[in-house]
Amino acid sequence: MVTLKIDGQEVAVPDGTTVLRAAQSVGVDIPTLCDHKELAPYGGCRMCLVEVEGARTLQPSCTLPASNNMVVLTNTPKVREARKFVLTLIFSERNHFCMYCPVSGGDCELQNSAYGEGMTHWPLQPNWQPFPMDASHEDFVLDNNRCILCRRCIRACGELVGNFTLGVEERGASTLVIADLGAPLGESTCISCGTCVQVCPTGALIDRAGVFQGREKDVAHVKTTCPGCSVGCGVEMIVRDNRLVRIEGDWDAPVNDGLLCQIGRFTPMKETRERLLTPLVRKDGALKAATWDEALGAIADKLKPLAGQNGAGIAAVTSPRLTAEALHDFEQLFGAKLGSPMVTSLEPQAATPFTPGMLDALKTADCVLVAGADLITQHQVAGFFIKRNLPKGAKLIVIDSADAGSGMTDIADKALIAPKGAEAQTLAGIVTDPAIAKLIAGATKPVIVVGKSVYWDAAVKLATALNATLISVQGAANSMAAAMYKLDKPFEPKGRQAVYVALGDAQITPALAQQIEGAPFVAVQASYVSQVTAMADVVLPVEMWTEQEGHYLNLEGRWQEAHRGINAPVNVWSNEKVFEALAERVGATLDGNWNPKEGA
Amino acid sequence: MAKPKVSMDWLAGCAGCEMSLLDMDERIVAVANLVDIRSTPITDLKVPDESGVDVGILSGAVNNTYNEEVALRMRSRSKCLVSLGDCAVFGGVVALRNFFKLEDALKRAYVETESTDGEGHVPNDPELCIPTEVRAVSDIVKVDVNVPGCPPDADVIFYVLSELGQGRIPELKGDKLHWH
Repeated sequence: MVTLKIDGQEVAVPDGTTVLRAAQSVGVDIPTLCDHKELAPYGGCRMCLVEVEGARTLQPSCTLPASNNMVVLTNTPKVREARKFVLTLIFSERNHFCMYCPVSGGDCELQNSAYGEGMTHWPLQPNWQPFPMDASHEDFVLDNNRCILCRRCIRACGELVGNFTLGVEERGASTLVIADLGAPLGESTCISCGTCVQVCPTGALIDRAGVFQGREKDVAHVKTTCPGCSVGCGVEMIVRDNRLVRIEGDWDAPVNDGLLCQIGRFTPMKETRERLLTPLVRKDGALKAATWDEALGAIADKLKPLAGQNGAGIAAVTSPRLTAEALHDFEQLFGAKLGSPMVTSLEPQAATPFTPGMLDALKTADCVLVAGADLITQHQVAGFFIKRNLPKGAKLIVIDSADAGSGMTDIADKALIAPKGAEAQTLAGIVTDPAIAKLIAGATKPVIVVGKSVYWDAAVKLATALNATLISVQGAANSMAAAMYKLDKPFEPKGRQAVYVALGDAQITPALAQQIEGAPFVAVQASYVSQVTAMADVVLPVEMWTEQEGHYLNLEGRWQEAHRGINAPVNVWSNEKVFEALAERVGATLDGNWNPKEGA
Repeated sequence: MAKPKVSMDWLAGCAGCEMSLLDMDERIVAVANLVDIRSTPITDLKVPDESGVDVGILSGAVNNTYNEEVALRMRSRSKCLVSLGDCAVFGGVVALRNFFKLEDALKRAYVETESTDGEGHVPNDPELCIPTEVRAVSDIVKVDVNVPGCPPDADVIFYVLSELGQGRIPELKGDKLHWH
């Protein structure tokens, strides 16, 4: 611990703490621009200059380590004059006219800094040099004219995401943020995670979908869990007037520390499917709008006589994107109450052992073995944790399957291809490869990531032998919960009299449509019109992920909350409400005891 | 004490600042009672008294030689000069033109614009003023009070005018300071 004095206040902080963080820890506000709590100190903007007793010049507090008996003054006339001068120079460099900038009016850290220093005008006029703008990316726009060269985007791209797409070219006032070696962003190695957009302090990186849709003072932030995959990233829905404006990563979320991938941040903003707004019942061959009463009645009339019939009864399948509450109700209604043996989820997976926090092991791993998983296109945030540690010396070994690559072959220290049918042997035998044995031998914090289940048993043995953390990245958002409720067998609806599909807002697969084709009776509860709802006899409209309350169990077994950011359209029900209403009509009651460990 | 004399004029702007001034509603009566309103663009008297005024207010950016003349005249006849709005303070929306060549901007405005049905050439009558680079008022004369905002809120304008009307220099900070 070191003890120093900041503005007369005694502060004790651990060794290595910067003066800026020390000041923030006791509520002393030092203005900053290039600093970001998730990024390494950079010292690029000079807004955080402070006076240090005995120092010849003003010091940047963000890079200055606190030391014993240091006396720091953060708000002297000299410091304030320097800040104003720094801002004057920044404003003079590029086009920082607020009146035609989307972040003006509360969302711009540069503008807010100027207000903080009481600047009513610019002492120096801009130099009127136009800079290039890059609008080639489908999700966001890079406008170098608004850039203050704080490099937060570049640092986030490398330090947090490990993608190293963004960088600079030229020098001094001509410096430009570019992708790769000057490629248009849309054609670059950018993976569209949008972390750069989230950290940009000005209007230099603009989210296309959310631009001009509402400033910070007009919107509400609602925290929820991303249902995109089983990593279960914490997200913030930015909402205004019951409309989703933008999605951001939640910096306080324990799983993802604020990071998101394209699927979590941008894809939901491009939803084009047609929403189901009313129950539908098939009459004379066509689906017609109906009341909830009619629709539920039609389903109950069909299901009740089929209750308890083993082979020819009901087949029920749910999407693992539903909340734990809904999955539990589903299992109880169709399994326990209606007695069907064919009650399961799409993409079923066996429950794998987990320990909450094991994704943290990936953040600090010094050797990672990825077997049969593609962390570049799926579970991407887990991939970020691996990629960003490679420049720090972490080793990466991948085993690609013959039919599906890991996407990480090029960046791995060692990559193998497992022949079909010999996956487990390949994994079990890697320690005999001298090069791999050497990589593993040097590791103190190894992690094994497994995708395909064929690797599982071999991975368990290897993990025990190496004392490694073992992570399974199979399944969808709530597959772990689905497995807990035993919704884990292959869906086989052939020969059943009735098929019930609780699809929620999930995308349908061609396989699902094929499987239910020709079934005598099909009921679907879904958020969107699809090929599957078109085949149904009764369709029930339900909430989508932004509209629901509930819980998700992620791949490391962490219970996470989903919250409602948007109110569902008036005639759309929650998944649980539909199950409860159906239960009532078949004469059953659901206990709602979705989490046996914690109680209902 | 005699009421402070106030003159107003506009340069290259959109009259939005003046609209915002009128937005102060009935408080304008209180302002009118505090000051002696002399020349404005909407009164019969168009130029400030040769004998001088206490407060001169300019909105809009300096866009041509005529704007320069108006700004210099206002400065020379005012004890206290106020820049009202983002155009006068920073150059504002008008200053977008500085990111292009003047000839290109004129060609776009008078020749290429879809709605142009005139003679198809840039007006060149020798009596017309000459366009210049767009500047903030403070780039050509000394400004005593900058009131940014696009437009400044009516509350801010009321605060500024009532302070000036009572012989004080307004200080814009906290919730009174907005550039947008």
